[in-house]
Parts: sequence; C-alpha cells; structure tokens
Amino acid sequence: MTLQEQIRANRLRSGIVVFGFLLLLLLVAGLIGAIFNLSLGIVALAGAAIYALFALLQNRSMIARMTGAQEVDPHQIEPLRRIVENVSIAAGLPVTPEVRIVDDPAPNAFAAGLRPQSSYLGVTTGLLRTMPKRELEAVIGHEISHVRHRDTYLMTMATIFAGVIALVADIGFRMLIFGGGRSRRGGGGALVAVLAIVGLLLAPYAALLLRMSLSRRREFLADAGSAEILNDPEAMALALRRLQLDTTTVQYADASVAHLWVESPTSRVETERTGVSALSGLFDTHPPLDKRIAALEQAGGFTTPETLPAHDPFGVELGLA
Amino acid sequence: MLWLWILIGVLVVLAALAVYGYNRLVRLRNEVGVGWGNIEAQLQRRADLIPNLVESVRGYAAHERGVFDEVTEARTALQQAGSPANAAQADAGLTTALGKLFAVAEAYPDLKASENFSQLQDELTDTEDKISAARRYYNATVMSFNTAIQSFPWVLFARALGFREREFFSAEGDTAAPQVSFATST
Repeated sequence: MTLQEQIRANRLRSGIVVFGFLLLLLLVAGLIGAIFNLSLGIVALAGAAIYALFALLQNRSMIARMTGAQEVDPHQIEPLRRIVENVSIAAGLPVTPEVRIVDDPAPNAFAAGLRPQSSYLGVTTGLLRTMPKRELEAVIGHEISHVRHRDTYLMTMATIFAGVIALVADIGFRMLIFGGGRSRRGGGGALVAVLAIVGLLLAPYAALLLRMSLSRRREFLADAGSAEILNDPEAMALALRRLQLDTTTVQYADASVAHLWVESPTSRVETERTGVSALSGLFDTHPPLDKRIAALEQAGGFTTPETLPAHDPFGVELGLA
Repeated sequence: MLWLWILIGVLVVLAALAVYGYNRLVRLRNEVGVGWGNIEAQLQRRADLIPNLVESVRGYAAHERGVFDEVTEARTALQQAGSPANAAQADAGLTTALGKLFAVAEAYPDLKASENFSQLQDELTDTEDKISAARRYYNATVMSFNTAIQSFPWVLFARALGFREREFFSAEGDTAAPQVSFATST
C-alpha cells in the first residue's frame, strides 16, 4: 500500500467513523427522547453538536490537557527538536511538528492534530530517560508516520465523538437516576425504559470499540513507516523491545477528562482512550508488541536480542536522567 | 446497439484510467520537485556556514592557505552544481575538504575551545544530518516516480508527455538507496 493510498483509505475511514458516530449519537438521543420526551432528545442532540464543534476547534489543547503534554521553550529541548526536525525532513512533511513534553515516568509518545501543519508530538520524560538516540529517533519516526498517514486526523475525530457520546449517555443516565421516571407513559413504558437504560449504558463502550477497531493495523503501518523514513528497521524493533522490557505503568494526568467517561477500565484501554494515536499497547507483554517486532524482523532480515545492551539514554543530552 | 454501449463503456473506463494515471504521474513528479527543494535548501544552508567557519580557522592558522582554498573551491563547486548527481558529487567533495579543515583545527586548542567555532561545528553537523534526511526523502520520491514511468503502460507514453526519469542524489560509489547508519551519527 503506497503512502497516497494509505492516506486516501484513512480519509474514507474517517468518513465512516464520523458517520458511525453520528448514528450512535442519534441512537442515544433517540433513547433519551424515548425515556423522557422528544424535545429533551433534541436538546441533547443539539448540545452534543455544539460540544463536538467546540472540541473540533479546541482539539489541540483538549488533547494536551488529556495527556498532560506541556509546551516547553524550544531552546531547552534543542537536541530533541533537532531529531524531530530531521525525521520530519526525511518524511517529507511540509512543516516540523511542535514538541511537547509529558512529565511521566512511563516511556511513551503520541502525535495529535488534525492536519500536519497543526500537529504536535508529545514525548514523556520517561521515554527520554529510557531510550538511546537511535531508538528515540525510531519512536519519533513512528509518530511522524502517524502524522504523515493522517492517522492523527482519524484518531482525533474518533476521540471527540467517543467523548461526545459518553457525555450525552452519562447525562441521560443521571437524569434517569435523579430525575426519576418522568415519562408518563402506559403499557410498554417500562420495557422501553429498561431497553433505554441498557442502551445508554452500552453506548460509550460501543464508541470505544469502534475507536479501538481502527487502531490495530495502523500501528504496524507506522512501524513500517518509521523503518522506511530512517532506513533502519532494527532501530524500531530495538525500541519496541525496550518498551516491552520496561514495566513502568502509565499515569496520565487525565482526571480532567474523567467526566467524559463512565468509568476507567484497565490502563491499556486508558491509553487508548486518551485518544491520541499513542504507541498503544506499549505496556502489553502480550502478542501485539511481539508481533510488531516480528513484522519488522521479517522486513529487515535481522533478529532482535532478548536483552538489550546498556546505552546512554538521550535524556542525558537534555540534562534529564 | 448493445455493442455500441459496450464500446462506450470500455472507452469511459479507459479514459478514467488514463486520467487517474496521468494525475498520479504529475503528483509523483511534484513530490520529486518538493524533495529536491528540500535538499537545495539544506545544501544552501551548509554553503552559508562555510565562510564564517573558514574565517574563524584562519584567525588561528593563517598559513594553512591550501586548505582554505580547497574548502572555498569545493563550496563554489557545490553552489554551481546543476544536476542532483553533480550536487551530490560536489557535496561529497566539500565533506572531504571540511575534513581537512577540521584536521587543521585539531592542532589549535584555543580554536577548538572557542565558542564560535564549536557552535559553527555543531550547526554544520546538524546541517549534514538534515542533508542526509532530505536525501532519503528525495531518493524515495525519485524511486517511486521512476518506477511509475518505467512501468507498463506509461513507459510507452511517458516521454511523449514530457515525463523524464530523475537522477538520484548520490555521489559515485554510493548506492541508490544509501544505508545510513545512525549508530555512528551520535
């Protein structure tokens, strides 16, 4: 699949995602309408539309808040900025994305933004403290590939809509509990109410599923993209192995978006939920990471060592570690 | 009547394929152009750093005239290089000349300690990294473009439509897709 085909396929998928979420949203609003009354459903729909619009306009800062990514003085992280610049040049991006730092001990990174021109990368201090330069470049290459493939666009859309649906379902559910049965219906009213409650409970998970179903294959593609940009598949495999060996858990500062979610499941889903196309599943010791390494090994014709040689992490150059 | 419709259908499909294929070639050619622009920008940046560098070394080692001349000539050659292959050749020549300049600088601890010199050296290293990054992108775009116009059926029409194969940015002895070792660039 060439880059252009990849980008086009992502545009199409983005369209499908938006459509799917709109359907879900209509369903949730319909349920609210069915339990209470029709005008309330319309109000919920209008509220959701306004929220989605606001989130679209504010997506940069919204995702920054969700992940705890902070803007830093470019001079302070000059060596890191240089890496991002060089990788962007090698990827042929029209601009170099801005770099933001997440103060978190877990090694991870993400890319966000609707267009390459407005996208930025988030890098945890943990990543800088863990990775030597060569592997850090590979991770940056992975994120830059997400930007280049327009994965970030797709993921941002998916995140926003998942958030909207969770919010609307949550409000509906609360009204149900605290507002009591305000529906003055006879006969099948109880059955409708039960169905509606189940629907409202499940909607956010349906949104999450939709969102997660999108992310599997594009991680492989971003790995391949990084290997291609840097002409170094081994570096990406080494970086993945290092992440695999790392046991630090993520502690994303994401309490500020807790209201969007009904409850937070495992940390794995939590990173997925933060919405950005992070190197998701980095902390899994499960097949995915192994599979990703195996795919790179097959493409590059090398084997990754089980244990990694000690290296000076890149953070030293930035005065970290 | 049926045959007429089939004929029209085939023609429409062929026309659609031709439009798609032609637009694809144009897009690929434009990407090559962007890639070359990136390289030129970085080469220019490298050339711009040279005079200051030469001056700062000259301040300590005025008698090493041969080396300065060589660097300056290599810089001029790079700025006058027209084709990608020539530019790559000239760029490699400049690298050799700069190697000699830095070898001279080694003998002057004061020079090496000066902040101006180390900053120039640092910027030069950065520019060289960027040239190699831009080269990887450019060569990849050239590869897709050349493959596209060498493939059937475009190999029959490409020349007539003004699509010419592009040169890789690689000096003699380089491979078309250079293996860049990042382990050594730290």
